[in-house]
Amino acid sequence: MATAQKKSGVYFYLAIIFSIGVLAYSAWLIFNSVISYEQGQTGEFYYGLILGAIGVGLSVSSLSTMRRRMQTIKTKELKTFTVEYCEKCSFKKLREFKVGDYVYKKIGACPQCKEELLISQIYSESPKE
Amino acid sequence: MLNMLILGLPTGENSSMSTIISTMMYLSFILFILFGQKIQLYTMIWNMSGAIKKLEIMKFEARELTIKTLKEIGKPKNDITPRLNALLEQFLISPVNMDPAGIVWKFDHLLDVREEKFKDDVKRLAPEADNAQQNNMENLVEGSLALNTVYRIVRHFYLLGRKTQSFYLILQLQMILPLIMQEAEALVGATKAFARGQPIGDGVGPLVVSKLMKDKEKRKVEKDVVVSELMMDGRKILALKAEGPGGNVGKPGDAIKQLIEEREGKIAMVVMVDAAVKFEGEKTGDISEGIGAAIGGIGTERFKIEEEASKYKIPVHAVIVKESLQDAITPMKKEIVEATDNVITSIKSLLLERTQEAETIIIAGIGNTIGIGQ
Repeated sequence: MATAQKKSGVYFYLAIIFSIGVLAYSAWLIFNSVISYEQGQTGEFYYGLILGAIGVGLSVSSLSTMRRRMQTIKTKELKTFTVEYCEKCSFKKLREFKVGDYVYKKIGACPQCKEELLISQIYSESPKE
Repeated sequence: MLNMLILGLPTGENSSMSTIISTMMYLSFILFILFGQKIQLYTMIWNMSGAIKKLEIMKFEARELTIKTLKEIGKPKNDITPRLNALLEQFLISPVNMDPAGIVWKFDHLLDVREEKFKDDVKRLAPEADNAQQNNMENLVEGSLALNTVYRIVRHFYLLGRKTQSFYLILQLQMILPLIMQEAEALVGATKAFARGQPIGDGVGPLVVSKLMKDKEKRKVEKDVVVSELMMDGRKILALKAEGPGGNVGKPGDAIKQLIEEREGKIAMVVMVDAAVKFEGEKTGDISEGIGAAIGGIGTERFKIEEEASKYKIPVHAVIVKESLQDAITPMKKEIVEATDNVITSIKSLLLERTQEAETIIIAGIGNTIGIGQ
C-alpha cells in the first residue's frame, strides 16, 4: 500500500506536468491561429482557435482541481501545542505536544518559583496560524 | 478580437471547414442525446473510483497506525493482525423496533455487552497498556473500525452501481460522496489523535468541568464518571465528567440519575455542556444556550436524563460549543480551548438567573475526555 501511495504521488506530479504541457501547447495553437488569420488562412485560424480553447479549458480545469487537492492536503497538517503553566507565578511555556501529555498533568517544579507546574492547555493550530 | 471573428466567419472558400465543424456539432449533439446519461454515468464512476482508492488508502493508514500503536504500547506477544482484522469487521444488531416499548433498555444492554467485549478484545491486543492507554487504544480501534465500515459501505454501493449500470444508484452515492470524504478525513485525524492521546474537539464539555473540579476532591460514580462537589456563587455544584485522561465518554445518564436519586430529586437544575455541530458559516468556538439534554450517541443516555428530570420536574439546560463534525473528532483547536471561559461565564449567569443560593445544581461535561485529566 505504501508503494501504491508513492505511485499515486508520482502520478499526481506527472498529471501536473502534463496539464502544464497541454496548456502551453494550447496557447501556442491559439497564437499560431492568430498568425494564420493575419495571413488570411481562416480555416487554419478556426481549427487552431477551437483546439486551443478546448486545450486551455481542459488544462485549466485539471490544474484547478489539483490545486484544490493540494490545499486540502495542506490544511490537514495541524501542529499540537502544550502549554505549561504555574498558577502561583503565572510562568507560561509553550512547547510541542509529547505523547503522555494531558490537561492538568502535574509535570514537576516551576523553574521560577519551584511551585507545581502543570499542563493547562493542549491545542492544535495549522502552521499558517 | 470580436471584429476578427466576425470578419473571419467561414463563407465561400472556407465552406469545407464550416461543414466539418457543423457536422462535428451535429454529431456531438446526437451523441449526447443518445448516450448522454451513459457518458455521465461513466464520468461519475470514474470520479468515484478515485474516491474509493483514497478511502482505501485512508483505511489502510488507520489500520497500520492502529497496529503500530498497539504493538508499541501494548507489547503483545503474538501477531495481533488476525484478531484486529476480526475486530474491525465487528457489528451490532439493533433490537427489533416493531414494538418500541422498552427498546431503550434493550439498546442499553446491547451497548453494555458490546463495550465489555470490545474492552476485553483490546486488552488482549494490548496486554501491557495501563487503563488510560487501554481506553485510548479502544478509541483508536473504534476509529479504524469506523473508517473500515465507511469504506466497505461506499465500495459496496459503487460496485453494485457499476455492476447494474444503475445511474440513480451511482448518482445518489456521488451526491453524498463529498460529505463521506470529509467524514473519512476527519476519522483519519481522529485516529492520529487517539494514538497520541491528544484532546479532541468533542472533549470541550469535560474540559470545562475539569476546570471547575481542579484541586477538588473527586469520587467515582456510575460507569467511568467522576464527580466533585464545589461552591459557585453560594450554590452547591455537583460537577461531573468521564474519568480521564484516557479516551472515555462514560455513562453520564446513569451518573446523573444516581446523583438525583441520592438527593431524592432535590436538584434545582441540571446544566449540560457539550460540543454541538455548527451550521456552515458559523464560527468554531461560539457558544449557545438552550433547553434539554445536550448529549449525542444512540439516545439511551439522553433518555435516562430526560426520564429522571421529568420525574422530579428538574429543569435541564444546555450550553453548547459550536464546532464542525471534523473539529469534534480531530485534535482540539485553540478556538475551542478558548471557548471554555465563555462557557463558565454563561453557566454562572444561568445559575444566578435561574437558581437560589444554597440550592444544588448538577453540571455535566459531556464528551470524550481523551487527553483531559481532572
